Amino acid sequence: MRLTAFNRSAICRSVVALLACAAVSEALAGEPSGVVVRDPHYGEVLFHFYQDDHFTALSHLITARAQDRVPEHDLEAELLQGGLLLSWGQHVEAGKIFDRVLETAEDPSVRDRAWFYLGKVRYQRGYLVEAQQALENIAGELPDDLEAERYDLLARVYMDQGRFAAAVELLEGQRSPREWRGFARFNTGVALVRMGELQLGARLLEKVGTMRAPTEEQRALRDRANVALGFAYLQADLQGDARTVLQRVRLNGPFSNKALLGAGWADSAASDYTAALASWLELSRRDVLDSAVQESLLAVPYAFAQLGAEPQAADYYARALDVYGTEIGRLDAVIAEADSGQLLTTLLAADESAADGWAWELERLPEGERSRYLYFAVADHRFHEALKSYRELIALDTYLSNWRDKLSAYRDMVATREIAYAQRLPVLQDRVAEFDLPAMQAELTAIEAATAAARASRDVVAVAPAAEQKVWARLTALEKNPAFATPAAAEQRERQRILKGLAQWNMDKEFRLRVWQQERRNAELREVMKQAAARYAGVEAATASLDGTVAGFAARVDRLEREVEYRQQQLATAMRAHREHLNGLALDELNGQKQRLLTYRAQARFALASIYDRLAAQTD
Amino acid sequence: MRNQKEVSDMIRKLLGGLAAVLLLHTAAADTTTAADMAALDQRTQSLKQAVLDLNRELFILEEELLYPANTQVSVFVSMDVGEYFALDSVELTLDGKDVSNYLYTEREVDALYRGGVQQLYLGNLKVGEHELVAVLTGEGPHNRDYRRGASLSFEKSIGAKFVELRITDSEAKMQPEFVVREWE
Repeated sequence: MRLTAFNRSAICRSVVALLACAAVSEALAGEPSGVVVRDPHYGEVLFHFYQDDHFTALSHLITARAQDRVPEHDLEAELLQGGLLLSWGQHVEAGKIFDRVLETAEDPSVRDRAWFYLGKVRYQRGYLVEAQQALENIAGELPDDLEAERYDLLARVYMDQGRFAAAVELLEGQRSPREWRGFARFNTGVALVRMGELQLGARLLEKVGTMRAPTEEQRALRDRANVALGFAYLQADLQGDARTVLQRVRLNGPFSNKALLGAGWADSAASDYTAALASWLELSRRDVLDSAVQESLLAVPYAFAQLGAEPQAADYYARALDVYGTEIGRLDAVIAEADSGQLLTTLLAADESAADGWAWELERLPEGERSRYLYFAVADHRFHEALKSYRELIALDTYLSNWRDKLSAYRDMVATREIAYAQRLPVLQDRVAEFDLPAMQAELTAIEAATAAARASRDVVAVAPAAEQKVWARLTALEKNPAFATPAAAEQRERQRILKGLAQWNMDKEFRLRVWQQERRNAELREVMKQAAARYAGVEAATASLDGTVAGFAARVDRLEREVEYRQQQLATAMRAHREHLNGLALDELNGQKQRLLTYRAQARFALASIYDRLAAQTD
Repeated sequence: MRNQKEVSDMIRKLLGGLAAVLLLHTAAADTTTAADMAALDQRTQSLKQAVLDLNRELFILEEELLYPANTQVSVFVSMDVGEYFALDSVELTLDGKDVSNYLYTEREVDALYRGGVQQLYLGNLKVGEHELVAVLTGEGPHNRDYRRGASLSFEKSIGAKFVELRITDSEAKMQPEFVVREWE
């Protein structure tokens, strides 16, 4: 199992550290970031991010970017999105983002961090050469935790390429702080031993096993390195070296069981069975679920037998058979539960925050005897990651179910709006229809033409007020009357001539003013007509778009409801696949445990039978 | 009686099992192959991405439906330093109506302290003059209970309006200051 010092939450912390370079945050220290939030919606994303509510942060960030609401934080937003996606296991999308950052970013520290994340993404996707190039492109120093992870990643790349010596040299020359350095050296050391490169692996494990360890976490790592190295030496028949290394392990630490077992085997290999017995007897009194303790139940009678104390050996073998039998029975029950798919349900039911699928770490197993057998399965990186992924899918499904409820409410809301519009629209449209705007415009055009003609021909009558036009019409109408031309009408003709002259004089006198006033009225009317036309068009567009907006919402709600349903179906399929996968891993682990116990039991039976045979032979 | 070689063999045999389980964990005889796992991971990634995209569309629909841009108003809370004030709650009234009464958790205050900005209120307002009043309570200098108000009259025009309620420190007065302003 790899040590996961660089787990997802660490990635998230790293993202914050990454942002620090862009003058965003030094949140690792929990101090004020000094961030100047220029777009409120970016600050809102950080508000969720700083509370470790990463899914909300990511969702809001993606939405805000789609709405163009974080233009002032373009680069930081891009990096944050990439980091959040990476921490959520979205390597492909995260990789695209870091590629884009490298195309645009000029700040060397930003580019270094982008190279780092890109290297990580590429490694996770199995592109070793590209990962190596990305990691080697980092020109400056990264923040401490990222710097350590960079060494770890690069060492893993070298290892996967078969360049073991290069990996060791890299890690021996590492300058990052001790607390980070140890994890990379341990992981690589163990990997080297696994590959049969004991000498190289031992160089690294020896460094970790003798390091100064001021914290409990570091002391546990030191113990673990010593146990790993001790067992590696045992496998290589280097019992003396194994004994030395295993003696460094604390007796009360989490790895003391394995150390005691190994120390016993080292003594036993040197034929010092009394010393071996001391370690194994101490171990055999511990929790029998631990496989080291299980093995000690076999080792203790073996040592007694080597010392010639066969009756004690027979007693201890018999006791071991009892314990193994009980344990196998319990394991059978757990395996049956796993076969039925119930185990996973039990495991998840124990965790109240199952709906929160993000940044989750299984810190405790459910109560109950059976769950104890899952310890090793859960401690396995692959199982843990698959379980995490499964929980994320559950969380997404719950999330989409909430959206379904909301969409149902929105559908009702849109339908209500539709009814309201259906009632209001005809009234509005009728009112609009009452205005014959084109006819009014034609009339104004005719008036403007008449005014222009009057000015051109100095038609004083045309621009005179209606009363004057009426008087003028009556005076001129008299001239067409035959009686008006007779001698008897001479006086009337004289009066008509004077009145007509007076009217003409008045109209003539007022002509320029009247033309100017008429033209001004025409211009005002033209402006009013223009505004009316615009409003008319606006009302027409609004009535049409009201209809369209409501219909648009209805269509969107429909489409999204269908998509939510479709994605939930896909989630159900994916969850089923994850459940099967997890069950498979759990069953592998449980069957492995059972197989080991069966082997121990067979050996105990065989040894016990041999002792009985010998004792019987001695009696005979 | 077993000889030394048998002991050594037994150690190796047992170590084979133990090391695999505890220390040098190698790939066991999995029922699921690495290729299957990779394929499952690939499918899961693309499904998660599709849900994220869908989620974005849902958020946008919700906002356009409930808070159209022409009437939308948002009130954000931010904190600059915050040495002299530990925020407990904010009461918000808009045109005399209570619209929010928010009690903060320690985690939220910490997020504000670190530079996060909280969207305290999202609602709708008609075009025209409006008044926002915020009353903040918490712990002020010398651990004393602190309750202060801040207000802003603003003109709502067409388009979304963002208002910021900002908590700052006045070094000169050794007091917190509360400012309400339109987000530029």
